[in-house]
Amino acid sequence: MKILIVEDEPKTGDYLKQGLMEAGFSVDLLRDGVDGLHHALTESFDLAILDVMLPGLDGWGILRGIRRAGKDMPVLFLTARDAVDDRVKGLELGADDYLVKPFAFSELLARVRTLLRRGAKTTGAELLRVADLELDLLRRRVTRAGKRIDLTAKEFALLELLLRRQGEVLPRSLIASQVWDMNFDSDTNVIEVAMRRLRAKVDDSFEPKLIRTVRGMGYVLENPL
Amino acid sequence: MRLSSNMSLLGNASITLRLTLLFVLASSAVLLALGLVIASSVEKHFEEQDMEVLTGKMALTRHTLAQLNSIDDLAHITHMMDNSLVGHHGLEVLVLNPQHQVIFATPNAGFAINVVAASAAKGPSFPALWLLGALSYRGIAAELPTGLYGGSNVIVAVATDIAHHQAFMRAFRQTLWLFVAGAAIVSGVLGWVAARRGLAPLRTMREQTQAVTAQQLSHRLSVESVPTELAELAQSLNEMLARLEEAFLRLSDFSSDIAHELRTPVSNLMTQTQVALSKARDADAYRSILESNAEEYERMARMIADMLLLAKADNGLVVPHRERLQLATEVQALFDYYEAVADEKGLHLTLQGDAEVHADRLMMRRALGNLLSNAVRHAMPGTTVSVRMAAREDAVTIEMVNTGDTIAPEHLERVFDRFFRSDPSRQRGSDGTGLGLAITKSIVAAHGGDIHATSGNGVTTFTLQLPLAN
Repeated sequence: MKILIVEDEPKTGDYLKQGLMEAGFSVDLLRDGVDGLHHALTESFDLAILDVMLPGLDGWGILRGIRRAGKDMPVLFLTARDAVDDRVKGLELGADDYLVKPFAFSELLARVRTLLRRGAKTTGAELLRVADLELDLLRRRVTRAGKRIDLTAKEFALLELLLRRQGEVLPRSLIASQVWDMNFDSDTNVIEVAMRRLRAKVDDSFEPKLIRTVRGMGYVLENPL
Repeated sequence: MRLSSNMSLLGNASITLRLTLLFVLASSAVLLALGLVIASSVEKHFEEQDMEVLTGKMALTRHTLAQLNSIDDLAHITHMMDNSLVGHHGLEVLVLNPQHQVIFATPNAGFAINVVAASAAKGPSFPALWLLGALSYRGIAAELPTGLYGGSNVIVAVATDIAHHQAFMRAFRQTLWLFVAGAAIVSGVLGWVAARRGLAPLRTMREQTQAVTAQQLSHRLSVESVPTELAELAQSLNEMLARLEEAFLRLSDFSSDIAHELRTPVSNLMTQTQVALSKARDADAYRSILESNAEEYERMARMIADMLLLAKADNGLVVPHRERLQLATEVQALFDYYEAVADEKGLHLTLQGDAEVHADRLMMRRALGNLLSNAVRHAMPGTTVSVRMAAREDAVTIEMVNTGDTIAPEHLERVFDRFFRSDPSRQRGSDGTGLGLAITKSIVAAHGGDIHATSGNGVTTFTLQLPLAN
């Protein structure tokens, strides 16, 4: 997967590039709007991350150029200004997502993956599995090592999210948004408690432990073996 | 706001100057008008006096002329006329025959014949001013019958010297002008003094307002010591000052709170990082420090986002997208979200009633979520947190009730303040920026609603009122 980043702030650009490369993406970083648009049109990318304020040509201009050339790759905007007008403008121009600085890198990564997955076909799997944990979507049943585990509706949704995106570190804000449809930063440890309760049911009396807390970033479900 | 003073000719000249000029103009105009009236009546009086003499003399002359019956009598005319003119100094008489030849004239009666004839044609009731060298005469002329010239009329002109009258009027006018000029100056000075004295309260007010600075916003203008006209202005200014002071205090409290709230995490980060760098450590130690830093950064980022939202709220928060919301659905979703946390504390979440509002879903969830989070955090384990909703005819009321510590009355007003903590010694946990209820209040205000808290016997109720969906 190839990602284009156009970001003029040197540190931000470098860290985004490093982070995304370490997450397994191939990344081109450009620091100027005009070069960015040229690059976007001459090379092929799966996704573009654009800063709004750029020298030469701003992010809106690049997006306009990309859409005019008939390219429909997903575009994610980064901005330091959280103005509703900006958000509306971006969406009208055909931006796919919008992140306000400062943002958590895990949040960005999760959104990038969501956008990239949007194009791909959703796996019509009825059974999600990692190690000896199985989640049956049709029968709404979870078993581990063959033993039935009772989950509440929300715990089921949470586990499904973790399983669908196994190996990805999911930030709390993304979990709150996807599982509970809470799109604001809540000020309690709601996700921590919910995750602890899920782990008590799914992980506590089993080995290996599948759900892991990545401090400062979020949660990941993966088979450590 | 700009006051439009350029409509006036004086532009933005001082009030004292305006009043002084007005005094000068008014008093000059009045005195001048008075002077002119007096002058004209004096002159009229003189004219009447003259006319009395002149018409008397004309009657005498008519009588004399009527006695003339033959050309011989003409020889006596000088004698007869002189007799009738005795005792009248400065009085001149001229008699012309129908051919406009002088048949009698007093020594100085050298008036132009045609002027006299023209005046006679108009009649004796119209006095005219005749000039003779440097002397001025007021005179009347008439055509009078005699027995001579076959019944044709003779022209008689009678005139009196008015030099002394004119001299008097000149002196009178001069005095008048001097008096008007003097009065103008005097009334100007008096006006200036009066205006200065009258405006003294304004200067006092100015001095008082000059004492108001950012550091001394508590200063107020004295309303009692100013005249009634200015009392209202002073009162309004005082109210403005009070509003400014309140906003200013809140703002400066907020900035000092921001500094304080950011200082703690920054100092943690700094210490932690510097200690970490002070000697070589293994990878796990570095990882642990970075993880801890990341948590701290996240908290700061959240605080900045919250503060930005509140800063925007101060400038009038816009409600981006209003839609019809069933509050029960929203609260149920929030119950689902806080279910695990409530369960851990053994709390019961209950919901009664329903109502429909016209609001932004995300904002409303956030507002109610902050309230619920607050209620859950402060509820005593094992109790019930209940939400009650009711739609009245004019508003929707939402009550969020929890059992726990009673909030002291003096703190009730301040729970919506930014960074407010009822117990200052209590350290905040890793969650919470201390802005939750402030944000709730801003959102509710943006929706045209109102929120307040009551607390007693361990039961704390937050009551939220929103306008009905129409």
